[in-house]
Amino acid sequence: MSSTQVREVKRSARLQISRGMKTVLAGTIILYIASALLAPTSVSKVAQMGMLPFAACLAIVGLGQTLVIQQGGIDLSVAGAVSLTVVIVTWGPDRHDNRLIPAVIAAFAAAIITGFINGALITKTKLNSIVATLGVNSLLYGVMMALSGGSPRRTTERLSHFTNDKIFGLPHSIYFGIICAIVVTILVKRTVIGRRFEAVGANPRAALATGLKVGRYQVGAYVMAQILYCIAGVVLGGVISQPTAYQGDDYVLPSVAIVVLGGTSLLGGRGFPAASALAALFLKQLDMFVLSLGVPYGVRTLVISISLMVGIALYAVNWRSIRSKVGVKTKEERQLQAA
Amino acid sequence: MIRFKSRAAVVASVISVAALTIATSVVASSSSSAAGVPSWCGPKKITMGFTDGFGGNSWRLVTTAAVREEVKLCPSVTKLYYADGQGKTDKAISDIKGMVAKGVKALVVFPDAGQAMLPALRSAYKAGVVTVPYRVWAGGTAGKDYNLFVGSDFVLAGKLWGEWIKKNLPNGGNILRISGPAGNSQGADESKGLAQVLGNDPKYKFIGADPFEVTGWDPGKTQEVLTAAIAKYPNIDVITSDFGPSMVSALQAAVSSGWKVPAIATSDGNVLGCFYQDNKATQPNFKMMTISTQNDHSRLATDWAIALATGGKTPKEKAYPSTLFEDSVSGKPSAVQCRKDLPGDVYLSAKMSGDAQAKLKTN
Repeated sequence: MSSTQVREVKRSARLQISRGMKTVLAGTIILYIASALLAPTSVSKVAQMGMLPFAACLAIVGLGQTLVIQQGGIDLSVAGAVSLTVVIVTWGPDRHDNRLIPAVIAAFAAAIITGFINGALITKTKLNSIVATLGVNSLLYGVMMALSGGSPRRTTERLSHFTNDKIFGLPHSIYFGIICAIVVTILVKRTVIGRRFEAVGANPRAALATGLKVGRYQVGAYVMAQILYCIAGVVLGGVISQPTAYQGDDYVLPSVAIVVLGGTSLLGGRGFPAASALAALFLKQLDMFVLSLGVPYGVRTLVISISLMVGIALYAVNWRSIRSKVGVKTKEERQLQAA
Repeated sequence: MIRFKSRAAVVASVISVAALTIATSVVASSSSSAAGVPSWCGPKKITMGFTDGFGGNSWRLVTTAAVREEVKLCPSVTKLYYADGQGKTDKAISDIKGMVAKGVKALVVFPDAGQAMLPALRSAYKAGVVTVPYRVWAGGTAGKDYNLFVGSDFVLAGKLWGEWIKKNLPNGGNILRISGPAGNSQGADESKGLAQVLGNDPKYKFIGADPFEVTGWDPGKTQEVLTAAIAKYPNIDVITSDFGPSMVSALQAAVSSGWKVPAIATSDGNVLGCFYQDNKATQPNFKMMTISTQNDHSRLATDWAIALATGGKTPKEKAYPSTLFEDSVSGKPSAVQCRKDLPGDVYLSAKMSGDAQAKLKTN
């Protein structure tokens, strides 16, 4: 094997589309075809324009969750983080446009502090990420209640224009989702820091042995995640004219679900931010599809749960061992046996 | 490293204690005014609790403030505790238990989770606390599971909408109904009321899920549900909703996609009134009527709880009435109101003035 061949192999491996991306892409295309055939109104302009901003918010949250999951953690402070941001950027300005920018800056400052608290609790005190982030989630809700008494105000005009004005017929909120997905993908997949970040997630001990500052990458994941939740919160605050104080509650489970659907392992290591973002579109279109089918609420919830289970089972179940137990053999195994 | 560990632990514990304290805020009520004590306020000194199943929107903020105002009128109530279930049934249940443990003598409960709250209500009642659930039906029997349920006639609300629809759309039309969480008694009763007025007339057709589209009264979900319905049904002639303001972001998004706003029969809110004023010129089919959003329902429940616990005179009504508030067509009892100088999330039908509501901030 010549050296040029080796280089070629390496390059193609870099450009390879992940299995998660293929699965989610195929799933999304099939879902859109099914939507167009079975519930054509779910792909109409009105429905898509109503759904896409929420898909964008979920995608941004999912990108943050992807980073945390890449470090073998899980972030349950999503709900508090998004809710707090929504409250800060609506209650803070209280309809006054000139107070919007300070409020957004305050929201980002709060997000960065929260990220450091999460990161410090997990890396320094070695708390389990579920316990630590759940505690921080309560803390965020506490701060939010102390600030606003549980009642955000109406979105300011400026924030509303910032997220809902259109470029080429699409509201800004959608572009925020796309830009975040591209930036995070490039950061993780195309930079030295990103490659090291994945290495730390895959095996922190080995990474430590190679001289990487493991703690920094781990804390960094939580800080970046909070910044992304904050971006999602700002966008969500703009999309919804009159948000509630618990607007983030709906994002905890879906954020984990889309990361898994996108093919990132819950054990950490390699992450697929773009696939997570696309999975957000899949999940929201699934909602829209089932809504448009006009089935009762109970059935709707069941269909969504079953679809999620199927999607997650694609990765979580060890199909090879099941096949061998059932007695079905793969091509390789048959060849091995024949040999 | 060890120093950091312990410092972080100390900081974390201090912060969590602070957070807990904030989450269940304690408010002392003034006991200064002796003159003009209302008849429902008896002589016995009590502490009192108010638990909300979900406190995270402006409607609840005003409703809770109404409870506070009412409690202030009665010097016999020495303290009012408040807890917010944050939309979580388990938290709402433990909030009730927490109130009993604190030793409150009267408890007003907004049992959002419906029948799931009955065991907790019963245990409070059996522990000797005057227990008054209101607004959402939690099942059970008065005098056995709780003292009294202070409901509202939501069937009447549905009837009021139905009558307005009949009068203003005499040629019939397609009606889309939206309400809160799946199976909530308020939405079910409203649909019953609508059906009583319009159900036998073939000109009127109910479209969408039966008895209503589920939104959880959440503006985000409302937007998803409403856009799906708008896409699915090209001809919606009327939308009914028991939380009008939560529709505004969805309506705005649909209008910007070129959709024509139909007639709306709902409950009031400043943001909705202003949405009407901003769009009436360009939306020929947009007529609107609202019933009072009933922020003051909690006052009646509070009066009952205090009367029973302090030995005061019990109020006459056991249910809070549904009343018309705005009508864009007849202008009676009021034309559609919009106060641009106030936040969108004040409710002009409430007893508390819009200006006072705008100043409300913390629990």
